[in-house]
Amino acid sequence: MNSSLKETIALLKRDAWVKPYLGRYRKILSLALVLGCCTVLFAAGLMFTSGWLIAGSAEMPYSVLMLGTPLLCVRVFGVGKPILHYCERLASHDWVLRFTSNLRKQLYRSFDAEGVFFRASHRLGDALGLLAEDVEHIQNLYLRCVFPTAIALAAGVGLCVLFGCFSPLACLVCFVFVSLELFVVPAVSVSINGKRQSMAKELAAKRYATYADNILGITDWTLSGRKADFLTQCENGQEDLNRLKAQAHAFDRKRDLAQQAIFACAIIALICWAAITFGGMRGGQANWILAFALGAFPLIDAFAVMPVAATQAQGHFDSIARLNDLSLPVEGETGTSPESEHAQNINLDLKHPVVELKNVEFAYPGQSPTICGISLSLSPGQHLALLGKSGSGKTTLAHLLRGDLTPTSGSITAGGLPCSELGGDAPRMFGVCQQATYLFNDTLRNNLLIAKPQASDGELERALERVGLKKLLARLPKGLDTVLDEAGLRFSGGERHRVALARILLQDAPIVILDEPTVSLDPRTEHEVLDTMFEVLAGKTVVLITHHLQGVSDMDRVLFLENGRIVLDGAPEELERSNQHYRALLELEQGF
Amino acid sequence: MFDKRLFTLPGAKSAIAWCIATSLLLAAFMVGQAATLAWALTLLWEGNTLSDVAAELGAFALCFIGKQAVSTIQAKQLELFAAARTEEFRQQLAKRLYEGGSPLTQRLGTGAASTLCLDGIDNIEQYLSTALPRTVALVTVPFVLLAVIVFQDWVSALIALLVFPAIILQMVLIGSTAQEEAGKQHREYQRLANHFIDSLRGIDTLKYFGRSNEQADRVYETSEQFRIATMKTLRTATLSGAVLDAFSTISLAAVAVMLGFRLVDGSIALLPALFVLVIMPDYFRPIREFASDYHATLNGKNTLTQVLEVLGGSAGTEAKKEDRTPELQVDAPKLEPWQERSVLTFEHIGLSYEGEAALEDVSCSFGGFRKYGIVGPSGCGKTTLAQLLAGVLQPTQGSIVVNDHAIETLSMPSWRKQVAYLPQSPHIFSTTLRNNLTFYQPDATEAEIAHALELVGLTSLVAELPEGLDTVVGEGGRSLSGGQSQRVALARAVLHRTCRVLVFDEPTAHLDIETEWELEQRMLPLMEDKLVFFATHRLHWLSEMDEVLLLEDGQVRGFGSFESLSKEDSFAYLSSRGKEGGDE
Repeated sequence: MNSSLKETIALLKRDAWVKPYLGRYRKILSLALVLGCCTVLFAAGLMFTSGWLIAGSAEMPYSVLMLGTPLLCVRVFGVGKPILHYCERLASHDWVLRFTSNLRKQLYRSFDAEGVFFRASHRLGDALGLLAEDVEHIQNLYLRCVFPTAIALAAGVGLCVLFGCFSPLACLVCFVFVSLELFVVPAVSVSINGKRQSMAKELAAKRYATYADNILGITDWTLSGRKADFLTQCENGQEDLNRLKAQAHAFDRKRDLAQQAIFACAIIALICWAAITFGGMRGGQANWILAFALGAFPLIDAFAVMPVAATQAQGHFDSIARLNDLSLPVEGETGTSPESEHAQNINLDLKHPVVELKNVEFAYPGQSPTICGISLSLSPGQHLALLGKSGSGKTTLAHLLRGDLTPTSGSITAGGLPCSELGGDAPRMFGVCQQATYLFNDTLRNNLLIAKPQASDGELERALERVGLKKLLARLPKGLDTVLDEAGLRFSGGERHRVALARILLQDAPIVILDEPTVSLDPRTEHEVLDTMFEVLAGKTVVLITHHLQGVSDMDRVLFLENGRIVLDGAPEELERSNQHYRALLELEQGF
Repeated sequence: MFDKRLFTLPGAKSAIAWCIATSLLLAAFMVGQAATLAWALTLLWEGNTLSDVAAELGAFALCFIGKQAVSTIQAKQLELFAAARTEEFRQQLAKRLYEGGSPLTQRLGTGAASTLCLDGIDNIEQYLSTALPRTVALVTVPFVLLAVIVFQDWVSALIALLVFPAIILQMVLIGSTAQEEAGKQHREYQRLANHFIDSLRGIDTLKYFGRSNEQADRVYETSEQFRIATMKTLRTATLSGAVLDAFSTISLAAVAVMLGFRLVDGSIALLPALFVLVIMPDYFRPIREFASDYHATLNGKNTLTQVLEVLGGSAGTEAKKEDRTPELQVDAPKLEPWQERSVLTFEHIGLSYEGEAALEDVSCSFGGFRKYGIVGPSGCGKTTLAQLLAGVLQPTQGSIVVNDHAIETLSMPSWRKQVAYLPQSPHIFSTTLRNNLTFYQPDATEAEIAHALELVGLTSLVAELPEGLDTVVGEGGRSLSGGQSQRVALARAVLHRTCRVLVFDEPTAHLDIETEWELEQRMLPLMEDKLVFFATHRLHWLSEMDEVLLLEDGQVRGFGSFESLSKEDSFAYLSSRGKEGGDE
């Protein structure tokens, strides 16, 4: 047996993404399948009864009434087939779309389980789109592969039973032809072309990566003048891909030819059987010969799609594989994710929480420690700046604070409670303003409401006013109902940060972590944004993570991290007086 | 229905001729198949034995397989034609990308550009290899069959003839409503796809506000809304297929019934009646195949339009001006290597994107191996000016004079080869570190590389790497930090032997202050004996510059020494202390 087939079967066995949903909408699913089978039945029936009708008519009965039944059947099948087919398409699409809605939700939840590290993990941009596409691939898998296969299978079983009623031999011959078309040809097709297909897919992905890489570096290419090299790079791998494709096409053509030859044999075998069973006299019984012979043709269409469906299905399986590689959220009817995101409303000291770090150490599994023994106490309302080179552990420390990570040893508490036990209550204690503010492609109102769902419009407007966006709000065509990022309406970097700040205000947590909030702003905007931030966050505990010294002089305390250790700690004025390194950096920052 | 552009492709005419010939042959086999089958069945019906009809059945099998054989040969020839044409498109596109450079790829979008060159071309291949045979079959096969049917039974022929235009008309009518609906559907679909990806992208934001669980339900609800909307459109969209289906089955039933009546009264014999009934499905087959491939075809058709547009066939005039190819400048004077006494003058230079001015009326002069700082708030045109100076972008107005040569643009090989351009995030190619370093000078020697590494401070990194210079870096390899990438870009410039001009575009903007300080120590010595342009909003660099150009809203607001400029009011905003300074 072919290895790719084995893999496929193993995959289907361990699959936990597609199978569980099959039973969910059983009624529509069975309706779609029954309609599909009836469509085939009606199509065959139309030709079958037509054959019988003209054979019967050729006998020239005295009254046309004697042909009443076939006449009625021809009409019913003729009118019914398109209607059934139409209904089948609707039912199968409806089922698939319901199924996909569940799949999307599950995909979301699976990412949700990764929590705040989702963005930091490698799955972004194109890869994310890829997963979203996988969901659609599974749609196609059903519409183009699974349903037609099920219907062809039903038709095959029906045929075998039908011929079984006449003679065991006929049943056997029928079985041989049906299994040739249903199993042998598709299996051969998958085992030969499936491999080519996956190789071609791999090559195409590689070519896509090369192309994207070279296009990102196109400025370097144009400046280098290395046109010939660029063109060679672009052609790289194309030849192999073309060869694979040509081979696959050649195989497809040969397979189709073989398949038609099998159909020809099947039809001739059928005619022979019918001639032996019903033949010998003019008309009468012989009418059935015509009926069977003509009735066979529409069935060809039901079976002919099988090899293509099988090969396509093979292509869709890596979508299933990719989804199955994701961590699976624990299924619970209430919709709670494993770490229990729901706020438990534990009693939190939200008024004046003291943050306390005692000998905190942290190491990512299998790596050397990122944080090495930090002890620190933050009194309520204190503003702390956390500085350090990239990789010094600033961001890790912020994650530890919020409880997204648990220290390997030592303890972190906020208001007396260990931060790692806050779980779903963390948003009540900590507000976070990230480097890049994410604005959803939704109305401004909904973008703000995620911070406080029950907030009134007045509250939202006040928050926007406090962060200096009153003018902007007035400028928006539909006010709070304006959809962001649509139709060219783009917020500038500074404005986005202000929206983020408005969210923080609405959230109203006592401790706010600002993670490099002003990177990529020009000095003037940065200065203005920082000013607003400190102004509106007065009274809250603030941890500002930054890589340069803008705004640091307004803080109560400055910490320098290096390799997970605190190397400098003090008030900015004090450091400026006593520490030469700090002074040197300050000079660099100012440039005067 | 038919794409006229196909005719203009080389080899298209012979491909079409081939399609017509094979389609006629196909029709002949269909007739043969129906005739032999009808003959055999009639004989059997009349009471003959199997051995009497062996020849007819054999002939039937031959026709049946022959039909497929003809399709096979037809497909093979067309695949060759499609492959040859698409290969050309692919190569032309690659060339066009190179010539169009970053203005073109930015206009298209990086992802879209790659997709166009790969998937897009595949779509066109599919289009070329299916559109031609399907269309040709549609206009040949039914008519041949109809002609044959007329001789057997004119009533059936009449039914078939009447149904044909009705089908086409219905398909066009429903097709256009369906297309409208599909357009709506597509927008709805985009909204859904965006909502889903949007939710995924913002998952950490939702987490931070404790809203992530509710979003899972919203994802589901939105998807369900989409299902309901889709089902609504599908009801009309699949109608065109259903109507086609209905017409063909009902007319088949009608033909059967009509034949039955006339068989009863003896006005037709069994053989022609059977023949007509057997051949009817084949009469409708080309329409069905055309309709089922129509959407795939549409896709290929649109991609072909896009590709032709990018290749400059029917591109918008403005877009064309924006990415005029450097090849246009081949006749321009060849620029000499930049010297101590060389002078570069901009006269009323302007550049606009899609009608919006990014730079306006820039007139200034740069000379010798001096260092020029370019400052201004975000969005003032710093990057545009830097790219113009590097020869990446081309001005849309004004002229440039280099050493008394008046030229239109710096985008010419003889200028570009003197320039090293260092952007905020230099692109690190997904290849070995060595290839990245020697990008501008593939023939650099080991000694040169070692020297460059030393100069930019990368020696220790290389020593750390498992495979040294041959370690794969960039996407899919070892990732480099922002500071390291910047050093690689610097090393590229050092190795670039013909480099006389350095253009920096905010090279340290996103680096932490200590890394910036370390880099500054490495950069400054490399600026000696070079013409340097340095766009930045970090003030400490400016004291190292000979002159500073102040930009605001795409216009020059000041040009002079740092000391003289810093006294001006307009300069104040650059200083982080500016506001307080003003207050004091």
